[in-house]
Amino acid sequence: MKKNDNWINVNIRISEIQFDLMMGFFQKIIDYTKDAINAASYLTQGLAVTFDHMRRRPVTVQYPYEKLIPSERYRGRIHYEFDKCIACEVCVRVCPINLPVVDWVMNKETKKKELRNYSIDFGACIFCGNCVEYCPTNCLSMTEEYELAAFDRHSLNYDNVALGRLPTSVTTDPSVQPLRELAYLPKGKMDPHEVSPDDLRVGKLPAEVMDWMKTDALNNQSQQVNSNEVKDTHLD
Amino acid sequence: MHIAQYTELICFIILGAVIIIGSLGVVLLNNIVYSAFLLGGVFMSIAGLYLLLNASFVAAAQVLVYVGAVNVLIIFAIMLVNKREELSPIKGLKLRRFISGGVCACLLGLLIRVNLTTKWNMPGPASIGEGSTVRIGEHLFTDYLLPFELASVLLLMAMIGAIVLARRDVLNTDEETQEKINQEIIEEKKQPLLIDQSS
Amino acid sequence: MVNSGLDIELSFNQAMKGFGISPEIAHLLWLPLPMLLVLIAAVIGVLVTVWLERKVSAAAQQRIGPEYAGALGILQPMADGLKLLVKEDIIPARADSLLFTLGPILVLVPVILSWLIVPFGQNLLISNVGIGIFLWIALSSIQPIGLLMSGYASNNKYSLLGGLRAAAQSISYEIPLALSVLAIVLMTNSLSTVDIVQQQNGLGVISWNIWRQPVGFLIFWICALAECERLPFDLPEAEEELVAGYQTEYAGMKFALFYLGSYINLVLSALLVSVLYLGGWGFPIPVEWLASWLHQPIHSPIIEILTGSIGIIMTILKAYLLVFFAILLRWTTPRVRIDQLLDLGWKFLLPISLVNLLVTASLKLAFPLAFGG
Repeated sequence: MKKNDNWINVNIRISEIQFDLMMGFFQKIIDYTKDAINAASYLTQGLAVTFDHMRRRPVTVQYPYEKLIPSERYRGRIHYEFDKCIACEVCVRVCPINLPVVDWVMNKETKKKELRNYSIDFGACIFCGNCVEYCPTNCLSMTEEYELAAFDRHSLNYDNVALGRLPTSVTTDPSVQPLRELAYLPKGKMDPHEVSPDDLRVGKLPAEVMDWMKTDALNNQSQQVNSNEVKDTHLD
Repeated sequence: MHIAQYTELICFIILGAVIIIGSLGVVLLNNIVYSAFLLGGVFMSIAGLYLLLNASFVAAAQVLVYVGAVNVLIIFAIMLVNKREELSPIKGLKLRRFISGGVCACLLGLLIRVNLTTKWNMPGPASIGEGSTVRIGEHLFTDYLLPFELASVLLLMAMIGAIVLARRDVLNTDEETQEKINQEIIEEKKQPLLIDQSS
Repeated sequence: MVNSGLDIELSFNQAMKGFGISPEIAHLLWLPLPMLLVLIAAVIGVLVTVWLERKVSAAAQQRIGPEYAGALGILQPMADGLKLLVKEDIIPARADSLLFTLGPILVLVPVILSWLIVPFGQNLLISNVGIGIFLWIALSSIQPIGLLMSGYASNNKYSLLGGLRAAAQSISYEIPLALSVLAIVLMTNSLSTVDIVQQQNGLGVISWNIWRQPVGFLIFWICALAECERLPFDLPEAEEELVAGYQTEYAGMKFALFYLGSYINLVLSALLVSVLYLGGWGFPIPVEWLASWLHQPIHSPIIEILTGSIGIIMTILKAYLLVFFAILLRWTTPRVRIDQLLDLGWKFLLPISLVNLLVTASLKLAFPLAFGG
């Protein structure tokens, strides 16, 4: 009787193992099918996203016909005013590669420097703006000109005459449609084509920021004075 | 003679010439890559001959199997092991070549003899053209079922052999060192690259 | 309707007879015309596809694309072709110049030859060969030889790798492709493309094969994309790793042959998908119904010309819809790795296409009415 029981148990055990194996196999198939269906659905989602782009407007700027208006602090080609320059060579010292060439001679009679030539090679310039920052007489400034392509790299070496030219502004060029950059668009607008020139951009204008900074500084000062007074009283 | 017959004759002459010259090139050329590509050309011309015989299905099968599979695999294998090294000289190469040439010449003579002595049943049965596909299918699954199945078993054996040869890791012991290989490393479950974050 | 529809060859022969030319000469005169037509059709198809590719790609990336060469930049592909035509033909110094030249030709010729079997109407195809679709499968298997040849002849490791990859990919995906075609052939009882389309056009859109072979349709399309080396399966010419694969050393017209070959292949695949699964020249509503609504006999010349033009338009429309889909897919999916590619081919598509074939065969035995007796 006992032996028989054992046999039945073994049989049940074997059939359980078989069942498990079968279920494992089916589970594998089910998982595989699920994977395949998931892959297909992800692919469909991706296709839907791509397809959705078909109805969106182009975001590109049609360059020679449309141009972006450079921002206020755009660091373009450097402008130079010959008459303001005192040939101090500060620009040369602060330049990372001592690029500006200041050609001057000492006038023995007047004991003053006499400037003959000034040139910057824009083939080597990195437009860091250090020279502009440090110029004591503000004779250097940065323009919005960025179209500096040339057939010969030596023609990028601008002398004082070339440096003194003013660039044509994008906004005044009749053959170009000026477009505002994304940060200069009114709130909620994404396409520069729809914006009229009168619409103000989002956020404060530089002048407003300046005003705000001034008042803020004043407030701070008065507060500091107050706290100093308090300190003084303490010491006494 | 009709225009059609003339074109047929011209096609036959061109195809025959290509086959003979091509197969001579396969055997005689030193560059093995050229030989392989020429073999493809020979197979194509043979398919052309089948077309001339109105057996378009056989021609297409010839292209599919011999050019598309066999020849591509041959070229594939050559390019995977293409080392461009000089083969070591074989002793008595000239004598060997002479003997093999003689054997080939004898075979050719035998074939020509057979060709001349056999009474060919000209012009032969009328071609069935497009119906040949159905006829081939019927024959393959009735008269020629056994050879057909045997061929498939042969291919299966070749495939399994290739798998065993290619996957040495299936073997229990290393071939060279005779050491036991840890099967668990091989059978280890593959880790998915992207961890499923949903579960 | 065994022999209805336009038969241009017959009319041509009759016209020639009218001029007093013997039938044999007329046949000889007729022979080059379809070939020329196929070449022109294939090249125009490629031009349209290239334009479509550029425009759709641009739209998918929110650009405008070619704009100034002709209206909407429609002449841009012509300009591209002209540029390639007059470019210097360079053969690298250490390359095998014979095989280097032969490679692109071997790639292009089978693809153009396959256009023989594409039907645009009842009699609007070059030759209704009995082995039809099998011819295409056989011809497309020649292509890898050309790819291997050009890859080897360039004497460049990238070219060789690209050629090997192309051949491996081509061989692996040909099998599921052929198996899914086989399921269609099983239901049609014919290899001829004309029969395959005709069998689908009984009830218009309902009787198209895509409803009976949805899995086969997907397999066929995936494999066709792989055979055309389109993204996501463009790893023979993966530019990030292999420069341009087997095309690396090619320039000028030889490169143009590859370019042409790949695009003709794409159009051809799309055409064949529409023939095999989307009812070919069939209008979604059967033309016979249209004719009965218009109270015209089916064999009147007006209806015949109408059906002929509808057939051509429908075939091209369906094919270009698929081309559009392929372009969409190009900008959606990333390129697969070589092991993923082979896994997909051998471990996924092959078993599934075998099961599909088995299911089709059993369905055919079980429901001979719906699945072709």
